[in-house]
Amino acid sequence: MNKKLGALALLGASAIVLAGCSGGGTPASTDGATAGFDPAAAKDQNITLWLMGGDTPDALRDYLKTEYKAATGGTLTIEEQSWGDALTKLTAQLPDSKNTPDVTEIGNTWSPTFTTAGAFADLSGIYKDLGGSDLLDSFVKVGEVDGKQYALPYYFGSRYITYRKDIWDKAGLSVPKTLDEFNADVAKLKTPEQSGFYIGGQDWRNGISWVFANGGDLAKKDGDKWVSTLSDEKTVEGLEQFQTLFKDASNAPVTENDSTPWVNINNDKSGAAPTAATIIAPGWAHWSIGDFKEEKKKDDGTTTEVREWNDATFGVFPLPGNDGKPAPVFAGGSNIAISAKSTKQAGAKELLRIMFSGEYQDMLGKNGLGPANTKHVDSLGDDIFAKALIDSALNSKLTPAAPGWAAVEGQKILEEFFGKVAAGGDIASLAKEYDTKINAIING
Amino acid sequence: MATATTTPSRRSQAPRDDGTRKRSFVPYALLLPAVIILLFGMGYPVIWQFYISFHKYGALQQLGGKPPEFVWFDNFVAVATNPEFWAVAIRSVLFCVITAAVTVAVGILLALLMKKVSAAARLVLQISLLLAWAMPVVAAMTVWIWLFDRRRGVVNYLLDKIPGVDMNQYNWIGGAPIVFFAVASIIVVWMSVPFVAFSVYAGLTQVSDEVIEATELDGAGGGQRLRYIYLPMLRPVIAIVLLLNLIWDLRVFAQITMLQDAGPQSTEYDLLGTYIYKLGVGGLNFGQGAAMSIFVLALTIALSWFYVRSLLKEDEA
Repeated sequence: MNKKLGALALLGASAIVLAGCSGGGTPASTDGATAGFDPAAAKDQNITLWLMGGDTPDALRDYLKTEYKAATGGTLTIEEQSWGDALTKLTAQLPDSKNTPDVTEIGNTWSPTFTTAGAFADLSGIYKDLGGSDLLDSFVKVGEVDGKQYALPYYFGSRYITYRKDIWDKAGLSVPKTLDEFNADVAKLKTPEQSGFYIGGQDWRNGISWVFANGGDLAKKDGDKWVSTLSDEKTVEGLEQFQTLFKDASNAPVTENDSTPWVNINNDKSGAAPTAATIIAPGWAHWSIGDFKEEKKKDDGTTTEVREWNDATFGVFPLPGNDGKPAPVFAGGSNIAISAKSTKQAGAKELLRIMFSGEYQDMLGKNGLGPANTKHVDSLGDDIFAKALIDSALNSKLTPAAPGWAAVEGQKILEEFFGKVAAGGDIASLAKEYDTKINAIING
Repeated sequence: MATATTTPSRRSQAPRDDGTRKRSFVPYALLLPAVIILLFGMGYPVIWQFYISFHKYGALQQLGGKPPEFVWFDNFVAVATNPEFWAVAIRSVLFCVITAAVTVAVGILLALLMKKVSAAARLVLQISLLLAWAMPVVAAMTVWIWLFDRRRGVVNYLLDKIPGVDMNQYNWIGGAPIVFFAVASIIVVWMSVPFVAFSVYAGLTQVSDEVIEATELDGAGGGQRLRYIYLPMLRPVIAIVLLLNLIWDLRVFAQITMLQDAGPQSTEYDLLGTYIYKLGVGGLNFGQGAAMSIFVLALTIALSWFYVRSLLKEDEA
């Protein structure tokens, strides 16, 4: 712990020192930031891009490196950060012009915290060239401050339901048309060995759909202040539904997150029955769902199970709402931004130009990542996964664009709250308690 | 007995006397690198930690959006009036006292065992202890988490085999907090016992055979020998390993974090280390995080004060 605290203090220290230094010399970088592209200045600039987790496939990374080299002559270094420490690393390194990544991917829900603090460069000068109003609006909004864009969409994802056709058929159930039907159906499928619907108690990122579907929300903007709305009538209604659903349909522990639900819906490799009839998971999970084919050894010596999707056994559908439309799910995905402290603004902008090119947008779509430019959504294809992804994404929602939202997530307040709701706690008093907790930090 | 404990300290004092008599410069020069490293490695961060703890220091300040604002003792007051923090602090102290006590007790028993068994058995025992001690925390934790896994863990599998015991799917890590901390305690004990066992065993080998022979002639049994001969002679060793374990167990972080990653994220499963990280770093409230860690520093000093003093006394005697 001492080491950690030492590092924390050190990073705080360096930030202050740097802030002190930059007081005199900022104008140069702000000039560059509001202007458009500057290919001449970008020549031979070597830049660093941070990508979060393994969501961007290798083929796309190679494409970026090659294209960047061709465009500027400089080298693009891609460093992968794990989602788990990304928030900490970003806060530590963005303020430090010597160590900052020039361009970074960032969780869409964290954008407001960073943009309001001035961590990113102003992109309004190149916003139109990168796609302008064709870019996914909700993601653009979350990266805007006073009408200027500081973070733009990178890709979007969505969550939808995957179910066991065989189990549903045997119970005489068909794909539900409304959320109420869904809740009732999955409750019927629960046995001591099998969850009708496998959802962890702490899994607020999926559980929130029941709140959204009932017209509730996590927070709202009241004047220029954000207010937590867990106690609102409609939010409470959604939470009650979630509590009942968890009790009646799920065998998952209260302390489980949205980690790897697909292991529950697969037969295990020896053929033993699955422990869940239904799950909700991000779009790319379908690569891990299906019949067991073989065990493959990876380069690092670990083995992974190869699964092959089987249309006879498995199916997908967007979580239905009660109004005929899909229920609003939490929109997954990332934004992309240029560090305000980067000394290579011109090179960084050239990289964005490559990332927002039609070719790259299509590559995103072909790999199952929702492209930032809505004109290229077709590239996702028209198979059942693409359809479920697009249908559920159309009605998706983001978390509140409040300056303190990253802190709310960082402190795991919602995991704790949903866990307590799932455990059967009194919703009204819990909602009040956690409203107070969230209100204390949501405005930064 | 008294002579046995005082002889080594007198011997260690001897060269120091020689040094001062010659008014040599060398000892100070030799001390210098250590002091410099300590000052730079620890002094600088600690000073900044104090600085941050007196400022409003969050994401905005860290990212350069606003200068840090001096707020006197606001952070400390906020921490002190937070009942959640006190619950975590009390839990941490209990965890560290119980875990350290169990570690030392098991360590002494293993050391006595090492003294009793044949050379071959001792070698096997020592190698196993060394392996446990040398195991990187992350690797060890991964295995422990598998052992206690709810669905496929060996622990549940074996317990379930016992007739009349139903431990199928028992949730060790994500169940009640008390069970979570029991598991954490077992893991921490496993990781720190080798150090205690080796230190105590080294101490045991210093007990002269003549003394033991004499007790045998006087007809003392094993229990009496342990109580009246071994334990008093080992007291300085036991005191120091207990102190070290108390400090280690108070600032335990990696084990708890990794267990939490395997499931529970709620504050009921936090100890001071993870709570400070959650609030200070995760929650981007660096000011309060720094204030809390200063409290932990004070707590560590308070806990160890008694021991350090008695150790110093022992040195003087």
